[in-house]
Amino acid sequence: MSLGSRIATWWRAVSERDEVDRQVKEEFEFHIESYVEDLMRSGVPREQALRQARAELGSLAAGREKCRAAWGSRLMDELWADLRYALRMLGRSPGFAAIAVGSLALGIGVNTVIFTAAQHMLLDRLAVPHPEQLRLLWWTEPHLGVVESMWGWFDDLPGGGQTSTSFSYPVYQQLRKQSSAMESLFAFKPLDRQTVTVDGHPEAVEAEMVSGNYYSSLGVRPQLGRGIQESDDGSPGSGPVVVISDRFWMKEFARSANVIGKTILVNVTPMTIVGVNPRGFTGAYSAQGTPDIFLPFSMQPIVVPGNFTGSASSSLLTNIDEWWVLVMGRMKPGLSDRTAVASLNVLLDAAVRATMPMNRDSQIPKLLMTDGSRGQNPAAEGLAKPISVLLGLGGFVLLLACANLANLLLARASARRREMSVRLALGAGRWRILRQMMTESLLLSLLGGIAGLMLAYAVRNAIPRMMSDSWAPPAFSARFDWRIFGFAAGVSIVTGLIFGLAPAWEATRVQVSSGLKDSAQTASHRRRGLAGKTIVVIEVALSMLLVVGAGLFVQTLIQLEHARLGFRPDNLLLFELQPPQTRYRDAANIPLYRQLEQKLSAIPGIQSVALTGLPLIDGNVMIHTFISEGQQRKPEGNPVVLSNDVGESFFSTYRIPIVAGRGFNASDTETSRKVAVVNESLAKKYFPRLNPIGRTFETGFHEPVRIEIVGVCGDAKYDRVRKDPEPTYYAPYWQNKHGVQQATFALATRLDAKTLAPTLRQAVQSVDRNLPVLDVRTQDEQIAASMQHERVFANLTAAFGALALILACIGIYGIMAWTVSRRTLEIGIRIAVGAPSEQVQAMVLREAAWMTSLGVAAGVGGALALGRVVASLLYGLKAWDPATFAGSATMLILVALGASWIPARRAAGVDPIRALRHE
Amino acid sequence: MAKDAGVDLLQGTLDMLVLKAVSLGPLHGYGVLLRILQISQNRLEIQQGSLYPALYRLEHEGWIAGEWGQSENKRRARYYRLTAAGRRRLEAETKKWNQFAEVIGVILNTAREEL
Repeated sequence: MSLGSRIATWWRAVSERDEVDRQVKEEFEFHIESYVEDLMRSGVPREQALRQARAELGSLAAGREKCRAAWGSRLMDELWADLRYALRMLGRSPGFAAIAVGSLALGIGVNTVIFTAAQHMLLDRLAVPHPEQLRLLWWTEPHLGVVESMWGWFDDLPGGGQTSTSFSYPVYQQLRKQSSAMESLFAFKPLDRQTVTVDGHPEAVEAEMVSGNYYSSLGVRPQLGRGIQESDDGSPGSGPVVVISDRFWMKEFARSANVIGKTILVNVTPMTIVGVNPRGFTGAYSAQGTPDIFLPFSMQPIVVPGNFTGSASSSLLTNIDEWWVLVMGRMKPGLSDRTAVASLNVLLDAAVRATMPMNRDSQIPKLLMTDGSRGQNPAAEGLAKPISVLLGLGGFVLLLACANLANLLLARASARRREMSVRLALGAGRWRILRQMMTESLLLSLLGGIAGLMLAYAVRNAIPRMMSDSWAPPAFSARFDWRIFGFAAGVSIVTGLIFGLAPAWEATRVQVSSGLKDSAQTASHRRRGLAGKTIVVIEVALSMLLVVGAGLFVQTLIQLEHARLGFRPDNLLLFELQPPQTRYRDAANIPLYRQLEQKLSAIPGIQSVALTGLPLIDGNVMIHTFISEGQQRKPEGNPVVLSNDVGESFFSTYRIPIVAGRGFNASDTETSRKVAVVNESLAKKYFPRLNPIGRTFETGFHEPVRIEIVGVCGDAKYDRVRKDPEPTYYAPYWQNKHGVQQATFALATRLDAKTLAPTLRQAVQSVDRNLPVLDVRTQDEQIAASMQHERVFANLTAAFGALALILACIGIYGIMAWTVSRRTLEIGIRIAVGAPSEQVQAMVLREAAWMTSLGVAAGVGGALALGRVVASLLYGLKAWDPATFAGSATMLILVALGASWIPARRAAGVDPIRALRHE
Repeated sequence: MAKDAGVDLLQGTLDMLVLKAVSLGPLHGYGVLLRILQISQNRLEIQQGSLYPALYRLEHEGWIAGEWGQSENKRRARYYRLTAAGRRRLEAETKKWNQFAEVIGVILNTAREEL
């Protein structure tokens, strides 16, 4: 016995079917000829010999069949026959096929789109060799630990204290020098946008600062030139080099090889391009999008200097208080995470003691390690839950499509009872019939899967686009790879099995004797009816769940869009400026802003110009210590409030009312006494039953500043629409000793962004031609961008809800129409004995209402459970919002009654004579 | 076909006979039939209808290999020859059969006084 020959003959039998048939035929013919010759030789006449030979050998058709079967082709032959039969059956009922494939395509398509986004945002790994060996270091410290100042991601721990992935540069250096537990420790820091000038054209691009061993440790080799090396990362200023991304190379240099050695300005510092990253490399921070330039840490004091806490120096490389560097390492083979963490903890303890001033109670952070294969994965934070909720809802939609299809197939199965009876009577096995029915469902689900995949491909960028700012290119794009195909194929097959099994099983339970009778109302009627009705109840329950979900999320979006902001966002145009620290150190940017305010106000069509340190509703706040008059600064911590640096006409431009005192005016100068306007929440909280005007407060950490309150303004939302206004003070930006590193200009104008943008650019570049105008957008767009997740949810769940209603409608109509046609005789008798047609109609509607109510009740239970999961994603209403529940239930019952109206009319119109004759 | 002998084929022995027939030299299907008749001196009747499926089954198992060739009367015919695997199979089957026949023979020929 040899596998090779088995496969070879099987393959021939399957793929060269006709060839093999011909071969058998020829062998048979040869056999008959030879036999006939032998028989004739012994005196039998030719006619008789031929007849005898044929009779003894048996029929050619059966012989062929048996020979091919001996080669193992039977399964394939039957499958092929089943497939052809299934296609013919579908072709004969195109309406059914369209509904089935269409609803499956929607269900599978929706899930594929969500899965595509999910796997991209949550599962993508860094494009480096062996990402699974990477570990990202992080730490936790108890309340009042030694780390007070962080730049980067951090979070408060539930029991007090905090956690972060940032380290100070001196600590990182000590760790790296002494660590033997890991293959190598390297550091990186994603920077926000930096001003880059290529050939005199300024723009802002994202950058990443990396250590000298970054490229070698990650194992990444640039596609052109070289990476950042140890020699670039020596003493401050020693490595004025950058490696650019593949995207930047294409956009700015059209993939020219001459780019190596070219000098560009980064924050007006000349830097030489030494390499181009491979395509797909996204840096170590995130696997979703890549920074455009990579530069060594040694350049920080020159290229991205800044004023940082507790230090007069602009260098962060020697700063011991500011924790800002991310540290990653590769595991040594064979060494456990626990061992590595233990040895690193000892090092961290020593490094902190060596670099930071310590006292008796000082709490040193505890080091931990986490999977670094996805970088810090900022996208996963806050997205994991919404995406799993969406995947869950998408799953329900698919389940609903399955239920609907199972129902349709059950109805068809009953219509095909005769066919099945004939097959059984002719000797088909139940297993054989089951297989044929499953072939039909799998064919349907695979067709649905293909259509769904095409649908998903067509709208693959819908979620990325909805998740990106309207004024910027999409933050990421969906990639279709084998995982997506695998997902769609897997989902299709599972769906096919789910919706196909019950009807297939039902089909094999046909009783041959009764199935062959012309209009058999058999014992299986009740059971079959029960199966169909159970499915309809499930359908209604799922629909209820999805409709309630849609109601909750759509209302959340509406509530957010109509939430009271405390300012007027209409007719406001925004843009950003980021004057590089290299040219505008500290307060040097204030004259620039002053000059720009004047220039911009002079542009016709612009009513007023307001500067803000942070734009409103973009998710960021500034936090400052707030020690009100008469309170003492406490060493263990002080209250904090929000703050913003604003221009003179901020309140009038944003139309935030001044309710007491005054706004800012020309009498507030750089040198006059420092002033602030506080919002009502602050006044209420810190000056209850007092007039805050004229009172002072102290703020600042290392260099305390005393500020006088000159006015109180209305509460306005700051970083998010979802958050109620918090105590906030506004200070004139020109009184900020350190200047404003990044400013947003808000222009009150009726002109649109497109018309005004070139004028704005001209105005800015007449002041400094290296200053790019960034992110021109309206305040309304800014607010819309802050609701991206909510919008995705509202759109998708609304679509799910609508789909659910349609499917429920089809399901209920199908089952009621079937019930009525089955009960024609009974209804005929009822009418014949005098039942009024309204009563018959009511009887049908009652049945539908009864099923729907049961489904709605089950759906309410499910929706309440769902509500607990999604409560944190909602705004302005409770997860058990009674109006939403009542509305959804009413809608479903109306849809159910509407769907059963036609069958009910048909029942009422049954002609008793025809119904009885029919039997 | 000649039917002078009434020996029916035991189930499962057809494969063995075909292998044996083919082991003496390549044969076409009709030739296999003739060869078995000849060796058995016309005492064995074979259902012609089951011959070809058996040939295909043996080829599927890799014990014989089929090839087109010329017959003695100059016609195209498919010739089967024994493969190396087939030879091993035939030997094993022969051995098994002989043991089986011997044991059955001993049992059936046992006389009363031998017990």
